[in-house]
Amino acid sequence: MIDYSTLETGQELSKQSLTLDPDAVSKYIAAVDDTSNPTAEDGTALVPPMAIAALALSAVINALQIPGGTIHASQEIEFGSAVPVGAALDCIATLAQNSVRRDWRFLVVNMEATGSGGRVVMEAKSTIMLPA
Amino acid sequence: MQQGDALPTIVKEITQLQIERYADAAGDHNPIHLDADFATGVEFGGSTLDGTIAHGMMILASISEMLTVAFGEDWLNGGKLKVRFRGPVYPGETITANGNVKKVNELDGFSELTCTVGVRKDNGDTAISGDAIVRIACSGLRHGRD
Repeated sequence: MIDYSTLETGQELSKQSLTLDPDAVSKYIAAVDDTSNPTAEDGTALVPPMAIAALALSAVINALQIPGGTIHASQEIEFGSAVPVGAALDCIATLAQNSVRRDWRFLVVNMEATGSGGRVVMEAKSTIMLPA
Repeated sequence: MQQGDALPTIVKEITQLQIERYADAAGDHNPIHLDADFATGVEFGGSTLDGTIAHGMMILASISEMLTVAFGEDWLNGGKLKVRFRGPVYPGETITANGNVKKVNELDGFSELTCTVGVRKDNGDTAISGDAIVRIACSGLRHGRD
């Protein structure tokens, strides 16, 4: 059980390597029923960008052992560049804010996903609310 | 696209099976999405839940799908999104992702479009609201599905 009050701003919360293999991408596309079929001009299949954010966020959720009843309050995302299916990414999450208001603890988490050569493909900021 | 233009809407019915598939695909097994007994009564935005709800990121995916349909690779290459999750989406509800162009800035070689985006439920409630920014090369404007 994590004592969330001890988490400090700037603290690294999770760091993981993520391979967006065709099976994982297909499962995501089926789950969200995405028919946009993003494809590069040369025909390369691209990952729906929100899949990167979703998988990066799940790493944070698992690392923090987020309790049931946690609420996702807001989300900011910037996509750096399109990611081909099969790409490997490194995702790192750090704590940007930790505060309590009324009966809720607000955690603001910054996430960054980088691809080959350290190219940033996604930056995101998630605000989640946990029962305090 | 011009100021005031509507983006192509995306309509989906949300099912519990879909929520479970999303939990597996995204690795998010919070019981608020999967266990009706647990979810019922949980406080959410000043009210209490009546059962399981969809993952916010699952619903948000419909906005990204809409922006991909509208802008193609321009959305994937440099798109920005800022949203708030306003209310829960329950299995059995139908959602509509929608948006329109709020502002167009003509810059050197490209246009920067700021779009109001959101997800509305069939009962009229707003599930998500926010803004997206997309930069489009002046020769590369897209309108709807290819």
